[in-house]
Amino acid sequence: MKIEDKYWRDPVLLAAVAPLAVVMIAFFLVPLVMTAVLTFQTTQYYRLSWSWDLKIWTEVFSKPHYWTIMVRTVVMALVCVAICIAIAFPAAYALATRLKTFKTQIQILIIFAFLTDAVLKTFGWILILDKNGVANWLLMHIGFPADALNLLFTPAGTMIGMVYNLVAYPMFTIYLSLVRIDRDLVLAAYDAGASRLRTFFEVTLPLSRPGLYSGAVLVFVLSLGAFLEPKVLGGGTAPLASELIRQSFETRVNWPLGAALTMVLIVIGALMLALSSAFALRRRSAPGRPA
Amino acid sequence: MVSPIIDAARIVKDYGSARALHGVSLQVGAGEFVALVGPSGCGKTTLLKILAGFEEPTDGRLEIEGKDMRGVPAASRPTRMVFQKLALFPHKTVAENIGFPLKLQKVPVAETKDRVRGMLDLMHLRPDYLQRYPAQLSGGEQQRVALARALVSRPGVLLLDEPMSALDAKLKKSLQAELKKLHRELGTSFVLVTHDLEEAMMLADRICVMRGGHVVQVGTPADIYYRPANMFVAGFIGETNFLPVAAVLTASGVQVTSPLTPGASAEIATEHVAPSLSEKGTALLVRPESIRIVRNDAKAGEWTLEGVVEEYFIKGSSTQYRIRVPGLEAAVIVDLAGSIVLPARVGETVRIGFDPTQAFLLSE
Repeated sequence: MKIEDKYWRDPVLLAAVAPLAVVMIAFFLVPLVMTAVLTFQTTQYYRLSWSWDLKIWTEVFSKPHYWTIMVRTVVMALVCVAICIAIAFPAAYALATRLKTFKTQIQILIIFAFLTDAVLKTFGWILILDKNGVANWLLMHIGFPADALNLLFTPAGTMIGMVYNLVAYPMFTIYLSLVRIDRDLVLAAYDAGASRLRTFFEVTLPLSRPGLYSGAVLVFVLSLGAFLEPKVLGGGTAPLASELIRQSFETRVNWPLGAALTMVLIVIGALMLALSSAFALRRRSAPGRPA
Repeated sequence: MVSPIIDAARIVKDYGSARALHGVSLQVGAGEFVALVGPSGCGKTTLLKILAGFEEPTDGRLEIEGKDMRGVPAASRPTRMVFQKLALFPHKTVAENIGFPLKLQKVPVAETKDRVRGMLDLMHLRPDYLQRYPAQLSGGEQQRVALARALVSRPGVLLLDEPMSALDAKLKKSLQAELKKLHRELGTSFVLVTHDLEEAMMLADRICVMRGGHVVQVGTPADIYYRPANMFVAGFIGETNFLPVAAVLTASGVQVTSPLTPGASAEIATEHVAPSLSEKGTALLVRPESIRIVRNDAKAGEWTLEGVVEEYFIKGSSTQYRIRVPGLEAAVIVDLAGSIVLPARVGETVRIGFDPTQAFLLSE
């Protein structure tokens, strides 16, 4: 099918696109616009009143408390990305190159862990991280003091939960990138005189970049919205953006504030994505290089 | 050969319980062009991988440039490989691909640049290709880049793993001609793996024919064509005819008789007899171009057979006939000089003849 320059006049094309367009508009664009509109409204006596007012936005920009939480959320997300990649890359590399015999079994185990409900897994970590939990019990038995680890209800606890729940994503994207690398390219590097380490940095790592980037982006976006882990394992001591937004909507019944904070989080996420994709594109700087 | 650059002796390679190479020995002289040929699964690629250092032989000794290669990794060998699928680095430009071996040897940037440009000239590639990526080049251009990358570090031996199998016939011919010229100019030893004996004949100084992990014959293209070791080698080079005969040793050669030509016998001189002749399945190798159609002009000593024309193909310089002869399993293939007047039509019964003393006697 040839798509004309004036494709918007083609009734068949319009009809074919219509269902998707309706779904996208109804469930993506409309809520987003509604959220944006909501930020200009005011609440009085737990009631929304229709107005165009910048009151909420002045509040958002004047209270450093909100920004502390936003910055903390972004930092936690970035740290989570770093830790996830650091764990996922070697695991995916081993799976793609070394552990071929048990590949299927290991993949099934990872998928099982991945598909188990996140709430269950997160609560499961309480049993491990608790002062009288499994981790301390094990450490005690190899000679550490009884309360060597004190991770539950700390940001570190939150991080452990986030990493645990998200690490499978980059593991799969990186694995897929690695298995697509032609074995001959590695042999060609050896043949040209490269050591194993050099081959890794010259061939394997650059060619696994698509998986690295997409894995990192997935983890980052999902970390920004982390809700469960700071609540269950962080104990609410260092709330993240999602908790702040929930409080605005539910506890304080200040919907315009919640909407404004949501917009801030969306903009931060979009900016980070734009930055990282600009970075990714710059690295493959070829003019007219086929993607 | 005074001092071979490659000296492989009794190389054995097992994959699990399967034996891929059964004690293969091969020597390659300095500056020589050797082709390894055989059907798929004959072990030619395995042997090449062992030379490159991608595989360790299970048993046997391999010396390259006089040094034992046991435990020497591919990176430290004086060999460079051109891969079947070329294996150009997709994320590196043409300049980075060609310069990669020099970068690893820490050759200064200015010298690398000069040598990469020199390779580009040698391969007839345009200088503005340097900043392109392999995916932006045509198949033939990628081929040249792969050759340039393999040759830029001036290796002692260039290994080629069927690098032209993916190209169309015309491009293949022109690259074959260039490869031969390149070999003459550089004086580097080339080892080419191919399943195409015709390609091997065109390019190589010596051909090593392999089957089932054994070397069947090593020799010059003329040896392989005119003095094949057995029916496998003779049949591998292209379509040909085998006439089963009974052979009896005599003082000056071999006396042969054929059940298809009763009463006729011929004496085959020793130089027309395969050295490894065995009792089993002796046959006369009669090339399609040495058979003619006999009308009423039979010559003395000529053996003649009668058959029906099954099919013919006009090839231009020659016309090929397939003639069904009663008592022979395969149709006899006859190549006649091309002419506008066809000497015979499909379904016609013709008499074909050849001189048995000019045929070659071999066995299975």
